Amino acid sequence: MSTLLTHIAISDGKIKRSSLEVLSRCQELANQNGHTSEAVIIDSNASDYMDEVQKYGASKIYLVEDPIFKNHINSPLLKALAKVMEASNPHVFAFASTEGTKDILGALAANQDAAVLSDVSEFDLIDGGISAKRPVMAAKILSSNEAKAEKILVSVRSGSYDLQENPTDAEVETIDFSFDESDLKLTLREIIGSSGDKIDLSEADTIVASGRGAKDEEGQKLVNELADLLNAGVGASRALTEAGIVDPSLQIGQTGKVVSPQLYFAIGISGAIQHVAGMANSKVIVAINKDPDAPIFEIADYGLVGDLYKILPPFIEELKKIKS
Amino acid sequence: MKFYVCIKQVPDVNAPIQIKEGELIQDTSRMILNAYDASAVEEALVLAEQHGGEVEVVSVGPSKVSETIRKALAMGADKAVHIQTSSDDEYDSATYADILAAYFKDKEYDVISCGKQSQDTDAGLAGSMLAEKLDLPYATNAVGLDIEDQKLVVKRQGDAGQEIIGLPTPCLVTCSNDMNDPRIPSLKGIMQSKKKPLETVELSELGIDESNLSSKTHVTGYQEKPEREAGKKYEGEPEEIAKQVAKLLDEEENVI
Ligand SMILES: Cc1cc2nc3c(=O)[nH]c(=O)nc-3n(C[C@H](O)[C@H](O)[C@H](O)COP(=O)(O)OP(=O)(O)OC[C@H]3O[C@@H](n4cnc5c(N)ncnc54)[C@H](O)[C@@H]3O)c2cc1C
Repeated sequence: MSTLLTHIAISDGKIKRSSLEVLSRCQELANQNGHTSEAVIIDSNASDYMDEVQKYGASKIYLVEDPIFKNHINSPLLKALAKVMEASNPHVFAFASTEGTKDILGALAANQDAAVLSDVSEFDLIDGGISAKRPVMAAKILSSNEAKAEKILVSVRSGSYDLQENPTDAEVETIDFSFDESDLKLTLREIIGSSGDKIDLSEADTIVASGRGAKDEEGQKLVNELADLLNAGVGASRALTEAGIVDPSLQIGQTGKVVSPQLYFAIGISGAIQHVAGMANSKVIVAINKDPDAPIFEIADYGLVGDLYKILPPFIEELKKIKS
Repeated sequence: MKFYVCIKQVPDVNAPIQIKEGELIQDTSRMILNAYDASAVEEALVLAEQHGGEVEVVSVGPSKVSETIRKALAMGADKAVHIQTSSDDEYDSATYADILAAYFKDKEYDVISCGKQSQDTDAGLAGSMLAEKLDLPYATNAVGLDIEDQKLVVKRQGDAGQEIIGLPTPCLVTCSNDMNDPRIPSLKGIMQSKKKPLETVELSELGIDESNLSSKTHVTGYQEKPEREAGKKYEGEPEEIAKQVAKLLDEEENVI
């Protein structure tokens, strides 16, 4: 019997749904194979999130609470993760593939001499380790991978697994943690442009994303209007984040966020593979582009060919009617 | 300041890819400098121009990576190191980090930088692995770099927003390609690159026996992704097609 440990990511005072998806998957694998599923919450207010984690099944929840975790800083986080691994001794330690995870996964693997597979779209247990599929070559193809080691780390793309409630009466263990300021290898000076009040793209059901074709004020106004109407997250192609028109944290693609909403609007986006890498798993894709040969039409379920400035206003009007 | 930039040669993801019996068939004539690494080179060159210093690039791989090394030299790097491997096989990130850690163990430097991920595998692990192995403070996913009082000031993209981080040197940073447009080597740069020092290092010189290098993770095969079928294109009067699609999204797809 071995332990599957899940890291519960907190962002802007909320649990990231993607980490509950990972916990659901680990609980399922534990049930199927007679293993143990555990979870860890590392935060300045870790205990606040216990009840919600309990719903998704873990026989034990580790809490590491310290004011230092108010913001993401890699050196204390690595120290805490190493302590948790000592306490839990997991065979597999699973993470949601967030920016925070990407910042520490390699270092933790090196520190723990663990095998690691990042950004997988599915994983399973095999004899002595895990197998996993990863999108590679800008998500054009999938690679099958195996990791075999005593300790294995894995990070999972959001939307890879469904949430499954599985309430347990988990035992709670608080891990002693203190952080000496002198151990701090780096300093966090400032955080700018927090997207706290916006809808988290990696978890949104509907996303309205715009590209260079909608870069002026009028285009952005239409895009925001559509997003408000649908209570959607607003995303963008790199052309817009680079031009400083949209907050960089809202970039979707190989370099930005990987999203998997029910409905994705690509408005004035050409559909370069690096953008598609982040959104091809959306359930329904609607594209508006004036170029009938734009690559985005190769993956769009609904491709509207034409000028977005002419298409969006009547589209928004029609949606308003439907909504009312 | 002494900057080392770790660079990797990767297949161009825009080139056609074929999979035959689980093997990846790539057009090896289209090998390029990883775009994230190119941004790291560009940024190091700019910082060295502004604050004084030297930029040296390091790459691990078989003989063909020398073309990519030349590209970085043509961009303006002062020197290069080619850590030679005999096999063409891809190592996993940890193996690359091990080799680089062995190389840097007794080197002096202020900043080691690299791309935040490799364009082909998108693993994004080697940088922070190397930092941990060398016990360096580090920051990943940098979208802006500066130097202040011998400290590296990193603007990085995090989950909630951009974070400004101060890193004492020596340190390691991984770069996003969102931070700059890497320069295209000039003809003069290309000519000069041929005269610049390119040192080759054998793994045995680093105390590594290549036959003992074994990765903890393995790629066991490649598969096509289930193709997403192109849906329907709607052309014609904007008013008309807008109404038509809005209706379909509501009635057929149930997503409104
Ligand atoms: C290593 C690497 C990583 C990258 N990572 C990412 C990433 O994570 N995310 C990302 O998005 N990009 C990424 N890119 C960049 C990517 O290759 C493209 O350059 C970018 O996605 C293009 O953005 P765009 O489609 O908005 O702009 P463009 O390619 O300029 O396309 C604009 C589109 O708008 C259409 N248009 C213009 N006017 C109108 C109008 N009035 N009405 C309707 N349509 C109109 C045009 O026909 C065109 O198709 C990356 C690139 C590299 C090299």
